[in-house]
Amino acid sequence: MSERILMTIAGLLAALVLGLAIFWQPELPERPLPKPALPEGGDFTLQSADGPVSLKDFRGKLVLVYFGYTYCPDICPTSLAATAEGLKQLTPEELARVAMIFVSVDPKRDTPARLKEYVTFFHPAIVGVTGAPEEIAAIAKRYGVFYAEQKVETAGDGYVVDHSADTYIISTAGQLVGKIAHATPPEQVVETIRKHLNQP
Amino acid sequence: MKHLSLLAAGLLFSAGVLAAAADNISVQDPYIRLAPPNAPATAAFMVIKNAGDKDVKVVKADNPATRVTELHTHINDGGVMKMRPVPAIEVKAKGEAVLKPGGLHVMLIDLKAPMKEGDSVPITLTFDDGSSKQIDAKVVRPSPAPMPMDHKH
Repeated sequence: MSERILMTIAGLLAALVLGLAIFWQPELPERPLPKPALPEGGDFTLQSADGPVSLKDFRGKLVLVYFGYTYCPDICPTSLAATAEGLKQLTPEELARVAMIFVSVDPKRDTPARLKEYVTFFHPAIVGVTGAPEEIAAIAKRYGVFYAEQKVETAGDGYVVDHSADTYIISTAGQLVGKIAHATPPEQVVETIRKHLNQP
Repeated sequence: MKHLSLLAAGLLFSAGVLAAAADNISVQDPYIRLAPPNAPATAAFMVIKNAGDKDVKVVKADNPATRVTELHTHINDGGVMKMRPVPAIEVKAKGEAVLKPGGLHVMLIDLKAPMKEGDSVPITLTFDDGSSKQIDAKVVRPSPAPMPMDHKH
């Protein structure tokens, strides 16, 4: 009886060795990481209506960064309305530890003054910033943000801007730590903000 | 006289047989999102219902408050939202088309004057058979929740 079990085990082991010999391909690349790594993010300085704004001015606060533009007909208002509603649901103590920056991906048309009026409409805590097209392009690249002008004859001045619609989360230490997807409901925005605020 | 009554009868008959697409269409909860300051464009949203047995296409929209009115949709391309004009919005027989933020919408481009919350703007939808329907859309502040229009039926 035990001999049979032994034989079976031996057989299984032999099959395993044979299987490994046939299928083992050690030159195959490593299994992909379970989570795609976040882009590097990092500090930047751009212009607001009230002077230059640097991400590092907000150390100690959780910073939400959204890339959009004031001519944006639907996507930016949808995202901003949801995020702003999330901000409104925070307690005053929590809100004091959160900042939000709206970076223009349309520096040709968005002036700091224009941006200020636009973002304040959604929430007074949002700061609108813009800069030279090359500066914005460099920041967008570091954050993994895509944007491109798209010709639409009837749109204001003939183009709209396709752009990534996620909101980027920057930790109190200045690290890009996550993203909030487009049109995430306010309750989830609040939950995400709290999760990051309560992280050591 | 006889000719006239024949004509009248004929007209009545054709009206019965060739019911215009607009007659089968009802529009629920139309609203325009209040454009933020400095935004030259905004969008109108609504649910378009078709009670008829034939698919209907909305081929055109018009409104007096902006210089251009277009039918648009959004394509979510890996997190990048791309807005594109569409030639028509199809409303299936006994079905509905939902125009909502992030998707299909009536795009109101180049506002003649800033809109105010509570304004009402008449929007005319034209269908593929040439018939049309006018609806009044209220201007409301952007809100992340479903619009607070009356859902009492």
